[in-house]
Amino acid sequence: MIMDKRKNRTYFLMILPAFIGFIILFIVPAIMSFGYSLTNWSVYNADIDFIGFRNFQKLFQDAKTVAAIQHSVVYAILITIIQNVLSIILAVLLNRNSKVTNFVKGITFLPAVLSIMVVGYLFQYIMTSADGGLLNSIIQFFGGQPVNWLGDSNIALYSVLATQVWQWTGYTMVIYVANLKSIDSSLYEAAQIDGANGIQRFFRITLPLLYPATSFNLLMSLIGGMKMFDAVFVMTKGGPGYATETIMTTLIREGFNTGKTAYACAFAVVFFVIVFVFSKVVTYFLDKWEGAIQA
Amino acid sequence: MKKKIIATLLCACMAATAFAGCGSEETTDQNTDAGTSAADGTEVSDAGTAEDGEVVKLRMMAYNAESSRASYLKYLDEQLPNIEIEFEFVSQDNFDNVLNAQLQAGEGPDIMELGGQTRLLANAGYLLDLSDQEFITRYADAGIQPYTVDGKIYAAPLQSWYEGIFYNKTIFEENNLTVPKTWDEFIQLHKTLEEKGIKPQTMGAQSYEPMMKQSIALVNNEFYSDEANKDFDEKFNKGEASLAESWLPAVQEWYKIIEEGCLTQDMLGLSYDQALDEFATGKAAMWQCGPWAVETIKEKNPDLDFGMFPIPGVDADEPGWLVGGPGSAFAINADSEHIEEALAVLELTATEEAQQELVKDNAGSSFVEGVEVDLGEIYTDCEEAFAAGHVYAPWTAVWTNGNAVTEGYGKSLQEVLSGTKTVEEALADADEINKGLLETLE
Amino acid sequence: MMKCKNIAKKTGYGIFLAIVSVIMLLPIYYLLVTTFKTPAEAVASPLGLPTHFTFDNYIKAIDAMNYGQALKNNLIITVTSVIFLVVFASMASYVIARSKQKMFKVMYSVFLVGLIIPFQVSIIPLYKIIAGANLMNTHLGVILVNVFCINLPLSIFLMRGFINTVPQELEEAALIDGCGTFQCFWRIIFPLLKPIVSTVAILDTLAIWNDFMTPLLFLQSSEKQVLLQQVYRNVGPFSTDWTSFFPMLVMATLPLVIFYIVMQKQIIEGVVAGAVKG
Repeated sequence: MIMDKRKNRTYFLMILPAFIGFIILFIVPAIMSFGYSLTNWSVYNADIDFIGFRNFQKLFQDAKTVAAIQHSVVYAILITIIQNVLSIILAVLLNRNSKVTNFVKGITFLPAVLSIMVVGYLFQYIMTSADGGLLNSIIQFFGGQPVNWLGDSNIALYSVLATQVWQWTGYTMVIYVANLKSIDSSLYEAAQIDGANGIQRFFRITLPLLYPATSFNLLMSLIGGMKMFDAVFVMTKGGPGYATETIMTTLIREGFNTGKTAYACAFAVVFFVIVFVFSKVVTYFLDKWEGAIQA
Repeated sequence: MKKKIIATLLCACMAATAFAGCGSEETTDQNTDAGTSAADGTEVSDAGTAEDGEVVKLRMMAYNAESSRASYLKYLDEQLPNIEIEFEFVSQDNFDNVLNAQLQAGEGPDIMELGGQTRLLANAGYLLDLSDQEFITRYADAGIQPYTVDGKIYAAPLQSWYEGIFYNKTIFEENNLTVPKTWDEFIQLHKTLEEKGIKPQTMGAQSYEPMMKQSIALVNNEFYSDEANKDFDEKFNKGEASLAESWLPAVQEWYKIIEEGCLTQDMLGLSYDQALDEFATGKAAMWQCGPWAVETIKEKNPDLDFGMFPIPGVDADEPGWLVGGPGSAFAINADSEHIEEALAVLELTATEEAQQELVKDNAGSSFVEGVEVDLGEIYTDCEEAFAAGHVYAPWTAVWTNGNAVTEGYGKSLQEVLSGTKTVEEALADADEINKGLLETLE
Repeated sequence: MMKCKNIAKKTGYGIFLAIVSVIMLLPIYYLLVTTFKTPAEAVASPLGLPTHFTFDNYIKAIDAMNYGQALKNNLIITVTSVIFLVVFASMASYVIARSKQKMFKVMYSVFLVGLIIPFQVSIIPLYKIIAGANLMNTHLGVILVNVFCINLPLSIFLMRGFINTVPQELEEAALIDGCGTFQCFWRIIFPLLKPIVSTVAILDTLAIWNDFMTPLLFLQSSEKQVLLQQVYRNVGPFSTDWTSFFPMLVMATLPLVIFYIVMQKQIIEGVVAGAVKG
């Protein structure tokens, strides 16, 4: 008993530095933000008044906000699916121990080392509609028509998405590769004796056993996708028009740039709720999957 | 037992090193901080009273890059040995965000470059009232007016800015083309050039600015040139007048340039510097921009022979208009700890010498009375427009919410170019933003 | 027959490897090769080799970026933050993983909130706190924000997952031996956490080195600024020239790429270990 008490005290002291820092620098500002969301606080307005949910009302009346939320959701779902499918395929195909595959794994991860800002600027030049843009030069070399990657409002969001897939697929893949290594090879041998072909083996053995990596990767790319900001900011500034505005770019533009701090805070609250619900839904299905595997 | 002692020692060591590791990092960090600041005297100056011989550090935050102020900054450095200017560039797309956060937290820069934000910041009490300063009387009223709020002056204007159409003189001469006098001629010019296989106009429409400015040039020509519309901007500030009603005919006139295919959707994929590149390398015959681009153009292509003409209107008898006005201005943070030194900087800025240094890197006319600036050959075609006072930009001159409204308007114009919005809708969007912001100020 | 199929399979695999490599390397090759070209050359043949190699552009870039100082700043911020993170997060996650006390579980869910909200949404209150603590325009301010507002939640999440898989018998034996909880953690547990510590250290290094918003908001003096800020300062929208701009991008990234190449094996295996056991 006494030992338990002492142990708990030590535990408490061990978690304390992280917890205090986190409370002071993250939770307190966040709660303050939530509080401000119910006021009319603005950079240009010295008096703060309580105005209830009026900021939230305005938020949902604004078509721009709703469009930005849609963009972020579409972006997050797409990048989660594309990135994970691609990286599972790559992981399965590259999961051998030869010099060549190790080299390919190495360079696939390389873009994850670069800053999003650097990648964004680089691809702005690669995807430009000006003469000599790399991507269009390649397409024209093969006889295709040049595409206005970042300037066409129908595809700009997907162009940005493509750059992010390029940057992060290797990162996700490496996590899958690690998971694959932990799978007992005797399982495959048994399946082979049963006469299962490669694809059957993938769905019966590999995929279920990839659960740990998948759950981590899905959540990370989903949350990362919802938070997306830097790449759009560097490559398109949310344009053309509002075609690539995401939640974060809209929040910063509508809230902070125009000095409407309280409005930005309301936006943040809505954002929090959306991401929270999203990740709950995903965890629910992941748990179900886990249950099914264990059963 | 012995084993245990060693083990205990070991883990104590580990813990100690772990903590000492970050502890010492931290102290070295602080040491270097203290070291650098002691060397240049920040710590001392923080006390507020800088005595003779001590160097005071002033933070100057600006959205024009350091290179466009290089000669001026060097001049300040020479003339004010006890003041060290720390120039902090934050590009325009981040500027309000960063400045607002700093001001709201009471950590603003000592001197800040402002444009359309001045009225909002002055009303909120962030800016020092400069009305009683001797140097402010040296400026012409035209330069001071945009920075005057309720009779008080809050910022000192730098050289004027203006945007017109840069054109490649060689291409024009080779094809016997002349500077257009009307908007229709301007559009016709595009067609002639296109027939000859030359790209007429390039535009970095990835940014919302160029179309916004070009269309407002037409509004200058067709709307603001009429005396009767002089009070429109004040009414717009109060929410009593709308762009959709007043500007529509002029902006529809501008829209012809899209209808006729002179501005194309692929321009939405061009950035500012890619457009600059096309003009500088002679790939496009025209590009709308201002004096700040001249140095870069020359750097890229020293042989380029180019000039600038104002944006023409419907009427051939009147000179065209430029978009522009008093340039950005320097304001002083009311909470600055070094107000005296900041005032000394603005005082020096208001001298003829400093104004000439400013103009060196970024041609524009000075608002200090009696300072004549030779703009240079590039702007010969604009002389008539300058003489007639045909330079205006309502959003920096009068509007309260200029930056946000023009950004929204420009973004909607991008949608107009994509074909998903009409000009009416774009103007209505801008009105909507203005109304929304006026509400938050009440 | 069988042999034919094998050869076809092998060629197919070879083509697959080649395509992946080209897609991954082409943009990077383009970035590098452009740094040696004039604008005209770059437009004429975007992928061709430059006609002459000159490092003038790089010398200009290094000069304009105040490279030595900025690199030092990056190192100070990154190394200190990572050490803080590893120490704080490993202790906290150990407690969360081992204790059955409800209080610690609650603390854990509080930490997880940080995974969901980006800290930028509460930037103004945060700004006030940092300013109030006199940490504005100091490296320590940026370090604290990097540690607590950005990277701590994920670090704890990863470490907790890993510690859960470490058998408890070892510590129990040590405890019976009379070793206190705290010593026991550093003596027995921490060494076992090597894989996850390297994962967390690597991920945090990448994130902190490449972070741009925090320094932009919290560091104003140019002698304290980091590499990406120097790039940003030099590319103002009104004075860009890509042949001088690309070398800056390369120089800002180079230290981390070297770090990656040297540590490639550990990084690829390191990133691995943590996530999967979660």
